[in-house]
Amino acid sequence: MPKQDSSNTKDNKLSSRRDFLRSAGNYTVASLSGAAMLLSDQKPAKANVTWEEHFQKNYRLMTDEEKQQAIERLETRYSEEYGKQVTVDGSPSMEGVLFGYALNIQKCIGCRRCVKACVAENNQSRGDEQQIEWIRVLRMEKGKFSETDRDQHGYPESFGVQVGGNAYKPAGVVLEGQHYYEPEQVPEKDAFYFPMQCMQCEKPPCVKVCPVRTTYRDPDGIVVIDYNWCIGCRMCIGACPYWARRFNWGEPNLPKEEMNPVTHYLGNRPRMKGVVEKCTFCVQRTRKGRWTACVEVCPVGARKFGNLLDPNSEIRKVLAKKKVFRLRADLNTYPKFFYYMD
Amino acid sequence: MTRYRNHQPLFGFCLLLFLFTRPVLGTENQADKECFESRDGMSQVKVRQINPELVNIKCSSTTGGVLWWGDPFAGTIPMGDMDIEADYSNEEAVVKPREPQLDRNKMLTICSMACHDGNYVPIPHTKNPRSLKMHLDTVPDAMNLKHGKGNIWCLDCHHLVDRTKLIDNFGYSISFNQPQKLCGKCHGQVYRAWRDGIHGKRIGMWDKGGKKRWWVCTECHNPHDVEQEERNSGFAQLRPEPAPNLPKGMVNADHERMHHGAHPDE
Amino acid sequence: MRFLQFVVDYLKAGFTGGILFWLWMLFLLFFIMLWGYGEYVQIANGMIVTNLNDQVSWGFYLANFVFMVGVAAAAVTVVFPAYVYKHKELHRIVVLGEMIAIAAVVMCLLFVIAHMGRPDRLWHILPVIGIFNFPHAMLTWDVIVLNGYLLLNIIGGYYYLYKKYSGGEINKSFYLPVVYIAIVWALSIRTVTAFLINTMPARPMWFHSMMPIKFITTAFAAGPSLIIVVFLLVRRFTPMKIADEAFHLLSQIVVWCLGIALFLTMSEIVTELYPATEHSLGLQYLMFGHNGLNRLVPFFWTALSLMVGSFILLLIPRIRKNLKLLPFICIAAFVGIWIEKGMGLMLPGVIPTPVGEFAEYTPSQIELMVVGGIWAIGFFLLTFMLKGAVAVLQGEVRHRTGTSKQAVSKQQAEATT
Repeated sequence: MPKQDSSNTKDNKLSSRRDFLRSAGNYTVASLSGAAMLLSDQKPAKANVTWEEHFQKNYRLMTDEEKQQAIERLETRYSEEYGKQVTVDGSPSMEGVLFGYALNIQKCIGCRRCVKACVAENNQSRGDEQQIEWIRVLRMEKGKFSETDRDQHGYPESFGVQVGGNAYKPAGVVLEGQHYYEPEQVPEKDAFYFPMQCMQCEKPPCVKVCPVRTTYRDPDGIVVIDYNWCIGCRMCIGACPYWARRFNWGEPNLPKEEMNPVTHYLGNRPRMKGVVEKCTFCVQRTRKGRWTACVEVCPVGARKFGNLLDPNSEIRKVLAKKKVFRLRADLNTYPKFFYYMD
Repeated sequence: MTRYRNHQPLFGFCLLLFLFTRPVLGTENQADKECFESRDGMSQVKVRQINPELVNIKCSSTTGGVLWWGDPFAGTIPMGDMDIEADYSNEEAVVKPREPQLDRNKMLTICSMACHDGNYVPIPHTKNPRSLKMHLDTVPDAMNLKHGKGNIWCLDCHHLVDRTKLIDNFGYSISFNQPQKLCGKCHGQVYRAWRDGIHGKRIGMWDKGGKKRWWVCTECHNPHDVEQEERNSGFAQLRPEPAPNLPKGMVNADHERMHHGAHPDE
Repeated sequence: MRFLQFVVDYLKAGFTGGILFWLWMLFLLFFIMLWGYGEYVQIANGMIVTNLNDQVSWGFYLANFVFMVGVAAAAVTVVFPAYVYKHKELHRIVVLGEMIAIAAVVMCLLFVIAHMGRPDRLWHILPVIGIFNFPHAMLTWDVIVLNGYLLLNIIGGYYYLYKKYSGGEINKSFYLPVVYIAIVWALSIRTVTAFLINTMPARPMWFHSMMPIKFITTAFAAGPSLIIVVFLLVRRFTPMKIADEAFHLLSQIVVWCLGIALFLTMSEIVTELYPATEHSLGLQYLMFGHNGLNRLVPFFWTALSLMVGSFILLLIPRIRKNLKLLPFICIAAFVGIWIEKGMGLMLPGVIPTPVGEFAEYTPSQIELMVVGGIWAIGFFLLTFMLKGAVAVLQGEVRHRTGTSKQAVSKQQAEATT
């Protein structure tokens, strides 16, 4: 609000179109809010925030002052909308930190607690209309090997010669992975489980294709999105080889009582319709030193997280002592999410 | 056997105490919602408000599992010493005491004091495993000791005369709160991995020097049956959280349950 | 001043016509209103009104976009022979080709806006006031080539028409470079659009280097097919004379490009299905379905039959040169390619998802309204632009240099005879 007054006196210093648009927004808002106050008891602060927010810059290019203003605008708006004190953190990357994640595929029991914990922490849309989950757990079959299951006939049958690769019923064939498994109890005897989320690639294809650079990789290795700058073109969704990105098809449904008020600008703050979102390694937690929600919730301790630049961190110890692989390493995306086995 | 019979009145007293204390706990359970952290039934926490804005835990409405900790260190105590100096020596390491979980009705204390003091019920002369004749209702997995596949028995782990304690190789007692000291006797490799933080689970602060709540062995594993038979997973089965919603326009997911080949089975 | 007059006269000429013309325009207007309604609903509620989802996040809008880029590029099949091979008959009607390109590019832009989740933030992509991630993002290349192509065609087409209108000499050192640049540029819009989707290893169905050339050949089959139909209509409904020779050349382009396109399709199928790796799951889903999910299968085989059928028919000179039959074959080829390079390309690219999930997709009513409306907008623009252009080319509309109306109508009479 104090910014509004100063813009009136500084209109001869309009240096760019963006400034012009912002101050134009101010004038409109000033008159609008005045009118609104006369007409009804509506809160003018809300309208003001929305206009300024609409014409704000890309977060990364804001000055510290502008970032602070953007954050305050959001805090006011969110606190009002969700009826509680919402904080929006703007913590930048931590010095000397490169985040890494490791998941013990041998331990995972497929209980999907991580999926739901992520939703509880990160303010995703929920409900039947539009459900967003950043983690997907696949059920992988261990395969079937039985004498009766095999195809011993030749191909073509009358020639009686079995040609490689043409058996109708290959033994031990496995499914590609089930997304919608729902047994009474997990783990099942004949399956293992494979959770997937954003791999926080070092060379993220999603960042490369973004036409407006709204998604970018911070120095601590987290690929983030400025939700206010996203134009919703979904190129990143097409480019991501891990299917890690989700889109807010409609206005997200986030009940007030379930809303997590501790948020980060680039992380779990409430999103708007028409923008892309994804796992941020719980940036609002991890940049404050706290473990991610999925690491904490895993009831079997299959998830490990830490600083790749610290030789004594648990993630480095996993890399040093366990058998590690990365998903789709052939794509040279250099994920910072590792899978391992004991 | 005769000695047992002589002291039945005392045993009856124990039972009475047990029955008396249970309903009290029961009403408390109803007042607050209770969820489990890792092992259903063996790691229970009650939901409560830390402050008007913050709850201690958020639970899954479908499975009753804890999903989220408002305060990861609530109800913890210092972990105590480990047998070697390492990184964690400089960090604040806490654990959630196991005793209140394992001894919810204070039976163990009573048992130790009342009967199993080494005299009243004597220490067995041989280590030959035998099946329990009594306490089948109160001893967890009384007839189902899978651990060690018959090569170990109760008193290899439990203290001979102090039922509230575990036992180490030298006969000294180990607190239920520090089962790692017991398990590490045999599972050295896992113990080392656990000490490094790459086996098991920790919550709290990931950063160097940050406070961490370490989870101890029995918070995740059932010590009487770790392998869980042919699943060999180390964990008891749980009800999974619900599957994601099907994509718009899909009515079922039958297609992903069909196998390759010309003859889809099942 | 004279230019303003040109605009006014051109608009007037574009919007004069008989009852049939107005019926046609009203018919289109109805669909344009549906478009307006659809866009309104979509912007108000978000894209949740479409049937797109996280599994199938690119659908009907982008499918039509990809196809229309081809049609836009195909204007070059008129321009190229006219200027490079000095084809006399095509040279006379080159402007009409440019009008088709303009309408097609406008449709492309509308499809992209319909596809965007936040069209209100379109300004974010504008250089200077927003961020234009050039040269990294392939989409920014597409923005440049498409808008550039639109500009080139507007300049080329309307400069020519304006000179005709005002009776001035065409400045060849200005006009010819525009034409030649536009020819190369036409290839670039098709190529870059192919690059837009084939540079994503996450989508193996698209991830092969044959995409650009396949895009170009299908475009140069579908585009001229449409052009043939449009030109036949122009010849039928306006005094504009278009020689049979022009159609013969265009139908020859169609048949060759269709042949190459079919050959490339066959190559792709053999390459993918012989080893049948997981990378071919998209193509398998398209051709044969997957575990009972087979919504695309009839479309693929329809498209293939239409393309093969029209190719075989067009190979026969007697049929190809029969201008009564030709438009129907052209429509068959056009529809076939529309399916093949539209939904038949888009959907198996995104199904299965990179993590192997299959989901079936059919456009929602809102999507149908918006897409139908954008096609109507395209035809609306095309109709009035062609009418105006024909009037100018025929000399019906001409700059009045202070003379009376009688003189003009006399000139018109001269021109029409």
